[in-house]
Formats: sequence, C-alpha cells, structure tokens
Amino acid sequence: MNDINSFLSRLNSTINFSTILPEIILIVGLITIVITDLVNKGKNAIFLYKIFLVSTLVSMGILFYQLISVIAFEDLYTNNIFNNLFRFFILICSFISVLLSVDYVLCSKISLAEFPLFKISAGLGGMILSCATDLITIYVSLEFLALSSCFLSGYTKRDIRSNEASMKFLLMSGASSSSLLYGFSLLYGFSDGQVQLDNIIDKILFSQYLPTICISAAFILAGTAFKLSLFPFHQWTPDVYEGSPTPVVAFFSVTSKVAALSLFTRLFRLIFPYLSNEWHIVVELLAISSMILGNLIAVTQRSFKRMLAYSSISQIGYVMIGILAADLENGYASMLTYTFIYIFMNLGTFARITLFSLRTGTDNIRDYAGLYMKDPVLTFSLVLCLLSLGGIPPLSGFFGKLYLFWHGWKAGLYISVTVALVTSVISIYYYLKIIKLMLTKTTNPVDTLKTYEKQKSLVSSVISTKLKSSVEMAMILCALASTLSGLFMDPIIKITRNTFF
Amino acid sequence: MNLSELIHEFILALIEPGILVGSIGTISFINTTNSSFSLGLVFTCISLLYFALNADFIAAAQLLVYVGAINVLIVFAIMITDQSVSSDSEKRGIGYFTALGACSILFLTIVCIFHKINDFYSSSIHQSEYLKLNLFEQNDVQNIGYQLLNKFLVPFELASLLLLVALVGAINPARDEDEGKDIAENKKKSFVSSTSPRDKSSFF
Repeated sequence: MNDINSFLSRLNSTINFSTILPEIILIVGLITIVITDLVNKGKNAIFLYKIFLVSTLVSMGILFYQLISVIAFEDLYTNNIFNNLFRFFILICSFISVLLSVDYVLCSKISLAEFPLFKISAGLGGMILSCATDLITIYVSLEFLALSSCFLSGYTKRDIRSNEASMKFLLMSGASSSSLLYGFSLLYGFSDGQVQLDNIIDKILFSQYLPTICISAAFILAGTAFKLSLFPFHQWTPDVYEGSPTPVVAFFSVTSKVAALSLFTRLFRLIFPYLSNEWHIVVELLAISSMILGNLIAVTQRSFKRMLAYSSISQIGYVMIGILAADLENGYASMLTYTFIYIFMNLGTFARITLFSLRTGTDNIRDYAGLYMKDPVLTFSLVLCLLSLGGIPPLSGFFGKLYLFWHGWKAGLYISVTVALVTSVISIYYYLKIIKLMLTKTTNPVDTLKTYEKQKSLVSSVISTKLKSSVEMAMILCALASTLSGLFMDPIIKITRNTFF
Repeated sequence: MNLSELIHEFILALIEPGILVGSIGTISFINTTNSSFSLGLVFTCISLLYFALNADFIAAAQLLVYVGAINVLIVFAIMITDQSVSSDSEKRGIGYFTALGACSILFLTIVCIFHKINDFYSSSIHQSEYLKLNLFEQNDVQNIGYQLLNKFLVPFELASLLLLVALVGAINPARDEDEGKDIAENKKKSFVSSTSPRDKSSFF
C-alpha cells in the first residue's frame, strides 16, 4: 500500500493530468462504449451514441476551462492557444458528425456499435496530434487517426465502393506515412538523437547540413500534404470520398484536414524557420495548383460527394494562403477563422446530403432537380451552406475568405491571392449550378421525385415541436453557424490572434 | 587481437554466412514453404547478431516479433493457399537487368558509406569519446522501461489503444453477420407496418 502511495505521488508530481483531461474523458467514453455494447449484446445501440455525445460535450467543457492556461506536460504537450483551439475544433467536428450519422447507420442495416468506437478513436488521435511536440507522439497519433479513418471508410462492408475506398486509403496513407518517417529519421539523426521538436531545433546545425535538411523537409512535406490532399497528393480524395458512407465522408473532410493543418503548421514553423523562403515557394506552388485543379475539375462532376471532394481540395488551397501569411501581430488568425467557418459549412452541406440520400438513395446531382417543390426547408438550408462555401456575402464564408485574402495580400502573396479570387468565382459557378437545379421546376418526371413523395417531407416534422431526428438538429446547428458566424467575426478573430509561436 | 575479440569475430563469422545462405535460399527455392523457412533462418540469425552486438532487448524483440509472429503468419498463409509448383520462365527480360543494375548500385553505395564511416570513427578521438559514454554497463531493458513510462508515456498508452482499435477494425469486416440479418428482417417488418424508421428516430 505504501509503495502504491509513493508511486502515485511521484506520478502526480511528474505528470500533470489536468492537461490531457479532455483526452482522458474521451478514452473513458471509448471504454464505456465497448463495455456497454458487450453487456447489452447489441441491443439498444442508440445509447452508445448518447454516451459518445456526452463524453464529447464534457471534454469540450473542460477544454473551455483550460483554454486560457498554458501548462506543459513533460515536454510532450504544450497547451498554448493554437493547440487548444485545434483540439476544440476537432471536438466540434466529432460532435456534429456523429449527430448526422446516427440515422444513416440505422437505415443501412449494419452493426451500430463499432461506429462510435472508430469515431471516438479518430477524434482522440486528432486531438493528440494537435498537441504533440514530439516526433514519436506525432507519428503514433497520426497512425491512430489514419487507421480509424480507414476502418470508418470501409464500414459498409457490403458496398463494394466502400471496400475500394478503404483499400485505397490504407495503401496511400501507408505510403505517405513512410515518407514522413523518413523525413523524421533524418531530423532525428542530425540533431544527435533528440526527439522533441524544441531540442531538435537547438541542436541541428543548419548551416552545415543544409542540403539534407532540405531533403528531410521535402519528405515531411510529401507526408503531410497527403493528409491535407494538396496537389499532387490529392489523388486518393475523390475516390475515397465517393466510396465511403456519407457521414464518414463528412467526418473525414473536416477532422483529418484540421488535424493535418495543425501538424503541418507546427512542423514547418518550428523546425524549418531557416528554410522559410524555400518552403514558402513550394507551398505557394502547391496551394495554387490545388486551387486551380480542385475548382476546375469540380465543375465537371456528376456526383455530389465527388464534387465536394474536389471543392475541399480547393478550400485547403485557400487555407494554405493563411498559413503562408502568418506574421507576428496576427498570428495564424486568418487560417484559424477560415478553418472554423469551413468546418460548419462543410458539415452543414454533408448533413443535407445525408438526409437527401437517406430519402432517395442517390448521389447524382441531376436528381436534386426540383427539390424546391418537394422539400423547401432542405432546399433553403442547402442553398445557405453552398453559398457560404462559395463565399457570397453576408454569409460567413464570405467574411472568412475576405479576411484570408486580405492577410495574404498584406503579406505579399499577390499571385496566390489573385489565383484564389479567380478560382473562387469558378467555385461560385458550380455551386450556383446546383442551386439553380434545385430551385427550378423540371418538366420531365424523374424517378427520384416519385420515391421522394412516398416519404414524409421535412416540413411536417419541423412544424411539430419536438425534433425527432438528430440529423435535423445538426443541420440547423450548421446552418445557424454558417450564416451567423459572419456577424460574430470580430470576437473570433480576437481570440485567434495571439497564436504565433 | 586478444581472446574476446577473437571469439567475437568467430561468432560473427558463423552468423553472417547463415544470413547469406538463408536469404539466397528465400529467393531461389521453388517450393514456397522451403522459402519461408529459410526466411525464418535469416530472422533468427539477425537476432543472434543483435545478441553478439550486446543489444539484448532488440534481440528478444526480433525473435518474438519477426520469427514468432511475422514468419509464422507467412508460413500459415503459404500453407493455407493452394500453391501449384510452377517453373519459372527462363527468359530474363529488361526488368531483370534494370533491377540488377539498381541493386548493385545501391550495394556499392552502402559499402562506400560504411567504409567512410569506419574511417571516420576509428580515429582515436572518437574512440575515447565513445568509451566515455560507458554504454556497456547499463541495463538496456531497465532503461527502456524507465523511458517508456516516464518520457514516452503518452505514445506508449496511445499505442495500446491503437492496438485495441486495430483489433476491432480488423474483425469488423471479417465477421459473420447473422445478427445483421435479424435486424434487417425486423426493420423490414417495421417499415411495412408503420411509417419509415427515419420519422421515428428514437434518438431524443
């Protein structure tokens, strides 16, 4: 008993548990889900989702409480505002994406219990990735996130496209993380065996080993650009997004991108400040190509999910401008605000697609024709989210893009901002194409409209006072956030300002 | 050379031909079972090499992981799949010579690098610094355990969670869906009798 006491006191003195308390709550939630599912033997699976949501909410609450303090955890974590904001973003992503996935999983007749398990583990991996300042923790959490995402994308195992998507994701993420490891190994070798990022910078003699540090930077860039789906590492994105089940795509398109953004920013800011000219040019090139490629190919798509995949490639191109434009007084404010708004816009669009595909079973853009007649609420909320993605005032997407491009222009990235403006106009074209398709009445009777008539529309259930579906709650949340965040832009910017490190 | 160095050289001279013979056997045996067993020989000899180089933890890990898990898995896979013993085609195309050229260049590069490192580290300055580090007196396993639970606690525990999720994820696509069929039948009945399950989502 004495030994245990002394051990615990020594543990408490070396490790400060309150810093990773949000992650610990998520882990407790994970274990509770596994045990509850085993005890209930597969019945009452909705309860598992409630556990997930409760643990995410508690975790968010504790993270709010910690948002101001800066505590170090054995040099593996640093809780500065940048990291905490990213953890908060990932918690929001997990919360909303689980809300919109409950009905889908129920209707698709697959087992329910493992789904929240994988979602919690992916969220956990993303959260630890946002805080890690240690090469080993970065790698393990990145693999955690990638592995859980891969299992999520292959969840509907009877669908052959889902199998193909998860296979592609597994192979490509394996290849990219091996190149990331090679870059890490070069850094490890040159810094005389140091694993923590701060110690690595102290010990590397940049002047002596410059060519090999450049090689290491190139490999790390290749590894992280895969997760961000920048050009030319974007090839996996359309196939994986089209094949995976829709709520899983919603989860991917925000969580893994947000986590990869935090990783990218931290690595390149901390380790390669001497090379900032070189990697600025390369990232600028990658961002310009992603924007051009993503928007141009999205024009020609016929499947909604594939189009959203290409549009998310271009959105990440915009966010890269924000990373390049970071300076002392504003920090990464533009990138963080745009990421925050992007989360809501993207999840809102995916929520409506999920609802639509639950009712009609199709993903073709042509089948959205005349939706206004059948379901005006769904149409209008989808219009709001798509316009926000395109960047039309007064929705919040406009304010996010405005801030981003303004910062980019101030920082001297004239070419990138010009290309971004042009490609934004192209993106407005294909979003408006869908809106026009939805709002106009079609003269030819389409089969999907007939199947739509059999099910009750959204209007009646919203009119009744009780919200019966969690997807609807997610939709309303995202719609509100997409539109009203524009009004609350100033406090958001103020919070994200002092994030330069 | 004194006696300990002589014994060391002798042991190395025993292990290295084992690795060489095993790897040649892996690629040139026609029967794939023989090939996998000679792969096991290669792994075992590498583990003995680690013992001879005074890295006991890695040697034990190599035996457990490579020989005990990976090689056994390879042998299982080979024995389960029905392999018809086919003869290799004798024609050696362009791919053969390209691979031969690339591998020989890689080999020469590695040999040159090792020679340069050997010359660099065998100068007297580095030897005295190396002896100062006093590496031979520490216990590897204790050191590793100490670091794992102090400095690297978070990745260590995270790796254990990763194993759990990997297990669940590996079993999930592969298991039998008898319960899935029952749930599907129940859903069909409820769909026919009442309104669609979406309206009666029992979430709240």
